[in-house]
Amino acid sequence: MTATPECLRIVIAEDAAIMRDGLTQTLTRRGHDVVAAVADAEALRIAVLEHRPDVAIIDVRMPPTHTDEGLRAAQAIHKEHPAVGVLVFSQYIETASAAELFASAPAGVGYLLKDRVADVSDFIDAISRVAHGGTVLDPEVVRQLLTASRRGDTLAALTPREREVLSLIAQGRSNAAIAATLFISPKVVEKHVANIFDKLGLAPDDHDNRRVIAALRYLES
Amino acid sequence: MPPGMNTAMNAWLRDHPWQADGLLAAALLVVSAPQVAAGQTGAAGRVALTAVTVLLAASVVPRRRYPGAAFSAAAVIGATQIAFGVQNGGPGPVFALQPTNADLAILVLLYTLAAYRSRPVSITGLAVCLVGSAVAIARWSPANGPHPAGALFAAAAGLGGLTLTAWVLGDSVAYRYRRAYYASLEERAARLEAERDAQARIAAAAERARELQERRARAVDDSAARLRGIERDLHDGAQVRLAALAMTLGEIKENLEQSSGDDHTLALAGAAHQNAKDTLAELRDLARGIHPPVLDRGLGPALGILAGTSAIPVGLTVALAERPSPAIEAMAYFCTAELLANAAKHSGASRVTVSVREQDSGLAVSVADDGDGGARLVPGGGLAGLRERVQTVDGRLEVGSPPGGPTIVTIELPRHA
Repeated sequence: MTATPECLRIVIAEDAAIMRDGLTQTLTRRGHDVVAAVADAEALRIAVLEHRPDVAIIDVRMPPTHTDEGLRAAQAIHKEHPAVGVLVFSQYIETASAAELFASAPAGVGYLLKDRVADVSDFIDAISRVAHGGTVLDPEVVRQLLTASRRGDTLAALTPREREVLSLIAQGRSNAAIAATLFISPKVVEKHVANIFDKLGLAPDDHDNRRVIAALRYLES
Repeated sequence: MPPGMNTAMNAWLRDHPWQADGLLAAALLVVSAPQVAAGQTGAAGRVALTAVTVLLAASVVPRRRYPGAAFSAAAVIGATQIAFGVQNGGPGPVFALQPTNADLAILVLLYTLAAYRSRPVSITGLAVCLVGSAVAIARWSPANGPHPAGALFAAAAGLGGLTLTAWVLGDSVAYRYRRAYYASLEERAARLEAERDAQARIAAAAERARELQERRARAVDDSAARLRGIERDLHDGAQVRLAALAMTLGEIKENLEQSSGDDHTLALAGAAHQNAKDTLAELRDLARGIHPPVLDRGLGPALGILAGTSAIPVGLTVALAERPSPAIEAMAYFCTAELLANAAKHSGASRVTVSVREQDSGLAVSVADDGDGGARLVPGGGLAGLRERVQTVDGRLEVGSPPGGPTIVTIELPRHA
């Protein structure tokens, strides 16, 4: 999880100047191209239209109402420009907002707690995954989904390791990433994934994004 | 006669004027019957005497209803008697309408007049009676045989005395009546005044209550707005700065990891980075405790997040056609948060149901769990604190929690503070 060698074209929408500038500098230092850094949803719309970036990083709360402008903008961009990845980041975890964002197609969609910028490489890795059509869901959202799930009885049948793997699946990680995170071999990960899907009664699916949706639907239902 | 019976009889006499005065008339007839029977003139005279006596006796019957008319009628009959019945020499009149005991009716009616009518009227009646008496004695005296002066004087004194006594008795009754009447008037006036005072005080109190209610509503709204402002300041200020700081520290740490072998500095940077992240998490919890920003989008989304973070699964339904004021939304939110936390900590429940619905002019929030029950409102306890908080806006909190469960806490809130 070191700095990616590629150069991503990025638009940032964040109304707090200190965070906007900080992100811009950090991303630039890591070799990415911040093509626009804007402070509200309307400017974001125009910037995306103009630059067609690989990914847009969007704060949920922006002027004028400071409620969920960013979320709405992200959904609009995702619909109108499917090629542009959208990474929404929020001061607070809102499971419902995340669910809304992931409701349609999760390809190229991410939802992270704002705190995650502190772990710079992980954050940039998440940006890169979203830019490449992957899915990123904050671990905290996944934890809450697992806790609140009405499928508690079935989930209890999972081993602790399998729960860990399920959590990482829901966060949008690939088998390779899961293997790296848990320091186990990809073969073992595959076995765990197969077991999990079997126990939960889900159709096995190797495609990362589709299996995220399957996992999330299962946890939310 | 026992006093009770006396009272009962008085009451009967008072409440049945016609019957009572009918009896009086009958008594007058009875006591004057021998005199009528002894009437010495012929058949015509006896008929006239009988008629006059019956009329006199009968005149008392309507005395209480028509005191003036009854008295006037009796007075006219008396005058007729004086004109035709009191002998004044000669061979005697055609009719011998001498007075009988029935003439007591005139005294009864004078008494009644004095008791029931104003002083000028009753004094006129008294004067009529006194003049009548004087004329009767004068006509009776000179020719009717040898009456000594003493006997005349005694007759005048007796008749006048009886007349005066009747008037005085009646007048004293009237005086008592009037005094009682005035007293009752005074009492009524005082009561009306007291009532008016009380009404004025009630109106003033109501006005004051309304004023306090408005002020309280303003204070509650103001405090909610202020808390929201504080959260926004934290979000736009400290939280962002801290996040940027954590990001910088993260970069420093990663740079150190890749470049130098200065483990000490790396450890310091790592600790600072972790501290910044922990503080960020604490600050977020603090800000959310002040005013969860999602509340700006309504109670539904806000409770949805609460439900999502609950340690036990929550079934949530929010059915509100209209949004309550922000202060009420915040109150409903924080109460629900505390009740969910209670359920998770104490109830042993496997599931909680939260429902928010319209009720009357406000909303009802109910939090029900399938736990062990036995939750109670104890002074100083969590539920009592919640109830106090709810009561500041005239809300209500009810707890139903039999041993063995389930526990249902219902909170009713107005739509505005």
